[in-house]
Amino acid sequence: MDIRRRNNVRITGAAQGPVVMLAHGFGCDQNMWRLVEPALAEHHRVVTFDYVGSGGSDLSAWTEERYSSLHGYARDVVEVCEELDLRDAVFVGHSVSAMVGVLAAEAAPGRIGAMAMVAPSPCYVDEEGYRGGFTREDIGELLDSLESNYLGWSSAMAPVIMGNPERPELGQELTNSFCATDPDIARVFARTTFLSDSREDLARVKVPTLVMECSEDVIAPREVGAYVHGAIPGSRLVTLDATGHCPQLSAPEATARALLDFLRNLQ
Amino acid sequence: MSPLSLTHRDTVAGPVLLVAGELDFVHAAELRRQVEGLVLHAGQCLVLDLSGVEFCDSTGITALLAARQHALAAEAEIVLAAVPAHLERILTIVGLVQVFTLRATAEDT
Amino acid sequence: MSRTGEGPDSSRGNGGRAHTHAAFSALLEDSAEELYESAPCGYLSTLMDGTIAKINTTLLNWLGLDREDVVGRRRFVDLLTVGGKLYHETHFAPLLRMQGELRGIALEMRTAQGARLAVLVSSAVKYGSEGDPLLIRTTVFDASDRRAYEEELLRRRQEAEHARAEAEAARRQAEADRQRLADALAVLQRSLLPETLPRLPGIETAVYYHTASPDRLGGDFYDLFPLGDGRWAFFLGDVCGKGPEAASLTSLTRHTLRTAAHHDPTPVTALTTLNTVLHERYSASGDPRYCTVVYGILEPGRDGGPATVQLASGGHPPALVLRADGGVDLLSTPGGLLVGVLPSAPVVTAGTTLAPGDTLLLYTDGLTEARTGPTRASLYGEDALYGFVAAQAPTTAQELVTALTALLKGFGEGLDDDTALLALGVPGIPAHPLPVSDDPR
Repeated sequence: MDIRRRNNVRITGAAQGPVVMLAHGFGCDQNMWRLVEPALAEHHRVVTFDYVGSGGSDLSAWTEERYSSLHGYARDVVEVCEELDLRDAVFVGHSVSAMVGVLAAEAAPGRIGAMAMVAPSPCYVDEEGYRGGFTREDIGELLDSLESNYLGWSSAMAPVIMGNPERPELGQELTNSFCATDPDIARVFARTTFLSDSREDLARVKVPTLVMECSEDVIAPREVGAYVHGAIPGSRLVTLDATGHCPQLSAPEATARALLDFLRNLQ
Repeated sequence: MSPLSLTHRDTVAGPVLLVAGELDFVHAAELRRQVEGLVLHAGQCLVLDLSGVEFCDSTGITALLAARQHALAAEAEIVLAAVPAHLERILTIVGLVQVFTLRATAEDT
Repeated sequence: MSRTGEGPDSSRGNGGRAHTHAAFSALLEDSAEELYESAPCGYLSTLMDGTIAKINTTLLNWLGLDREDVVGRRRFVDLLTVGGKLYHETHFAPLLRMQGELRGIALEMRTAQGARLAVLVSSAVKYGSEGDPLLIRTTVFDASDRRAYEEELLRRRQEAEHARAEAEAARRQAEADRQRLADALAVLQRSLLPETLPRLPGIETAVYYHTASPDRLGGDFYDLFPLGDGRWAFFLGDVCGKGPEAASLTSLTRHTLRTAAHHDPTPVTALTTLNTVLHERYSASGDPRYCTVVYGILEPGRDGGPATVQLASGGHPPALVLRADGGVDLLSTPGGLLVGVLPSAPVVTAGTTLAPGDTLLLYTDGLTEARTGPTRASLYGEDALYGFVAAQAPTTAQELVTALTALLKGFGEGLDDDTALLALGVPGIPAHPLPVSDDPR
């Protein structure tokens, strides 16, 4: 199997520089990193990719079984690392990808030498003694939202849901947007993302780790950022002056600055 | 294929049933139903006029035997009349010529 | 329309035109603000961090909110349901940042009373002269009806998929049931006929069985088995009727005859026992059922010499003997009655000797009752059979059955009843003019 094609792997930046691997979260694809990539690429070799099921990945490689667990996504990361023979790469994971990175670093020691977690949350659902910010019912609402946007994407979608999902021109319309994914795949990714609990994995992180939280984030509130920082031994916490869950888009300069600062301190 | 046709008339001696067509797996049950619905009195004689029978298989034979039992149960007699040659040959092979009374015509002489 | 002289009112007088102009202007001046506030859709503008800077009355009314509580105090995501917030953060906001605009996204807003409002949202980023993003303009359409329609479509699709899945499951179940039934029938059928014939010393045997009924349960039967004293019993017959009922009669007949043969193998005794059993089981209770059967005992000769056959028949067509010299004999049993019809039935016996080269043939009437024309007026018949068999003689058991099998196949659709063939032959001494096969199949 051609891993580079399967995961739509792109490599930019300084060929001899230290490797930074940028991993997108649930919702969109590697384009999320477009605004911070140039700053990183000046002195680093930047690897971006799409998880199978997202963006420009090979959808035929997707199976519900594999991608119903974060371990399936971690295998994507490990396989890309092996394909490119990366060693001690700095893994930058946004949102759920931060937890995927934890699993990947553990599964393939030596491939990932440090991690930066952007707006991470190890558990989105409130549990006893832990506040993730959401209830299981809330997550059900998100799944409904995904469903209705599949419906609402275009009025031309009506014939599709009436039993003609193979019309290629409609598929074209959907893939014009970089956040658009197959609704069945998106549903699985959403469920895996928002219903998994990775809290226990955090204590096993052995590589230098930077936790980057946003000052205003409805998905990963600050108390969750504090939890992650507290759970990972020796981690550093940075609070970005950014609103929303995607600081690499809403505050790209601040995000890049914090990353570069972390990268510099590693050397 | 000729379907079975059954014509019933009463005489002084007893009922006469004219049987025509094919006595096979599909139609023999009809003869059985008709015969078992006939009211017979002791001493009467049930006549089955078989002149129009074109074919008779083992289920047809069964229907004839059922008719015989029906008659005997009512202490009546049974006669097979105007039996065609092909049917008489079968009745001979299976030994029923000894069991049934065969007569040339339906009319008593 | 506001430009004088070009609108539809240009035919009017000058004064009228001026008046119209003024009215339109008034309307327009009024409508700039009025249109924004009372438009049939919601408008809002936010800073790049989502803080609401401006919102129209329509949207405030839909949400049951006061302007003072919203402007400068709340962000756009605060107006959404939790599912809407998640979707906004994971899809909407990134898309808007990347593309600069976004159209027709389905979201749900929450009203002050806690009700949900299904909306379609379009947003566009306004950029400054340097290309820096300044604010986000958003329009909100009430999509309750549309969402209800979509949900209906979705529900119908799910129902259709459910129905399809159920139909598929039912089809598979039916297929499995059919297969199980076919397996059960096959097992039953094997109980009605011997799987293989035993090998007899100095005797060649051959059988053929044709099943006409689609459920594969036949009404004909045969068997051949040792009596333990050097003699062998054989029988072949035909029960009345078809299908499962005939099969149960066949089963009773076969096992009664086998048991009777071991008790007293004499042909008359065996058939008399069968007659008693069948009569008591069926005819005596008003359900006349019967069979025709030939039952016999064969005693092979020593060192390939002549074998003797004693047989009895109850209402069955006569057995045929194909002689080594080419002649054909009928083993007639006139007067033998259907078995099971009367409490005590006459059974007629016959006997013969099978010299080397002689072959005994037993058959059921499926063979002679096969249609040779479009109707039952033209049946194959005994005379044709006798002629066919005479043309084969002398022959061996296997060759005879092979020839008759080909004859049966030739009847095609005309063969609509079960047919059984059983041939027993004493191999001939290889001599002129024909070589005789000694194939023991």
